Amino acid sequence: MNVTQDLSILHLIINASAVVQIVMAILAGVSVMSWYYIFMKWFAVRQARSKTEIFERDFWSGGDLNSLYNSAVNDRHHAGSMERIFEAGFREFAKLKGQKNLDPKDVVDGSRRAMRATYQREVDGLESHLAFLASVGSVSPYIGLFGTVWGIMHSFRGLANVGQATLSAVAPGIAEALVATAIGLFAAIPAVLAYNRFAHDIDRLSIRYESFMEEFSNILQRQMR
Amino acid sequence: MILERPEEPGKKYALTFTILVHVGLIAALFLGVQWKRSPPEVMNVELWSSKPTPATYVPPPPPPVQEVKPVAKPLPKVEAKPEPAPTKPDIVVKEEKKQPKPEPKKPEPKAEPAKPEPKKPEPQLPDFSKELARETANLKSRPNTQQIANAAAAEAEQRAASNRRGTEAYATKIRIKIRGNMVQPPSIQGNPEAVFIVDQLPSGEVLKVDLKRSSGNPGLDQAIERAIRKSSPLPKPDDPAFFQRSLEIKYKPFEE
Repeated sequence: MNVTQDLSILHLIINASAVVQIVMAILAGVSVMSWYYIFMKWFAVRQARSKTEIFERDFWSGGDLNSLYNSAVNDRHHAGSMERIFEAGFREFAKLKGQKNLDPKDVVDGSRRAMRATYQREVDGLESHLAFLASVGSVSPYIGLFGTVWGIMHSFRGLANVGQATLSAVAPGIAEALVATAIGLFAAIPAVLAYNRFAHDIDRLSIRYESFMEEFSNILQRQMR
Repeated sequence: MILERPEEPGKKYALTFTILVHVGLIAALFLGVQWKRSPPEVMNVELWSSKPTPATYVPPPPPPVQEVKPVAKPLPKVEAKPEPAPTKPDIVVKEEKKQPKPEPKKPEPKAEPAKPEPKKPEPQLPDFSKELARETANLKSRPNTQQIANAAAAEAEQRAASNRRGTEAYATKIRIKIRGNMVQPPSIQGNPEAVFIVDQLPSGEVLKVDLKRSSGNPGLDQAIERAIRKSSPLPKPDDPAFFQRSLEIKYKPFEE
């Protein structure tokens, strides 16, 4: 008969059963981490795109390859992914070109392999933490649901001790259980959105890198003659 | 040739934004959603109004009245229960409210008993006179008078705990109905108390009657049990919230 008059969210969280509280704590932590990665990825992808654009402009403006290479090496910490791919390919090319008994085809292949290795590392770096966002997006609703189901089980069990099944006897228990689902969804929705968005952005970036590698290989091949 | 990866950009910004987002969420939860429920004042009102209704129920029980006895004895007995907490006082109040009928009622228990010990009468007599005075003065002030009999402290408590009042009203209804169905066996020594645990359905039907503490008189125990079963369905509380599946019923043969 003790009607909880104060259903503030704090009250709900404090009164929840231990399992529900643990679930809510996990979800809160997951939510913080996923938002952190979302913002980090957001900045990283934006930066990678703008640097790629700058480098493509420089590259296709017909500058000297050597000076491009030098600026990439000197300014390594501010170089974008594409610049590093170019740097790796050109360095390999320069090394192999000096050797006498090598087929031109091998030289281009070697530099292409170097570029591919760097490319993979770069894409890997860009994609880091995306898996985390994906699993948060798919799993945290379930964690929240688990907390809710558990909480509702609890409140129904408590209902057995109350003579009459009034709504006010179950409502607080269900409300506090539902908080778990709310937190789970709050973590999951942005994570899914961000994952899809970033996966798409990174796909496009990596396609740009790949086409650049092909074009650059052609340029190198032309230089061999 | 692994190049050191450049620092991921914007860690600090990311952290700041993360905190901002969550602070925003928490603020929205706390301020945006009205989690407060309006206090159930309606319930209180109903409880007050519920008092009169039990009174109307009181009349039915009188039928088994035996008006043989003089008024003098009944009075002491009415108050006979100083110990029995709040529930019993209620009964007294209700009976008195219906001044015409109550008096006949009180006689009944005494008529049969004839044995009631003189112990109780002494403390009770003064109380009863007080109550009478108050009744005449003000019908509505009844609850207070009753409380005075118990303890001054109880008064304040009763006002605060409207819940309890509802339960009391409910318990009184039940007791009155059972008493109405009671056929007392002839030979009862003293005023022994029997305690029963009664399981009931939400509709009031009696499912199970368990004897928790015997009165020491098997005949009386059986009579009480029969009365409880005969009282099925038990009266329902005015507010369904006071319904309890399992009731503990204490019965004293001569409490009224």
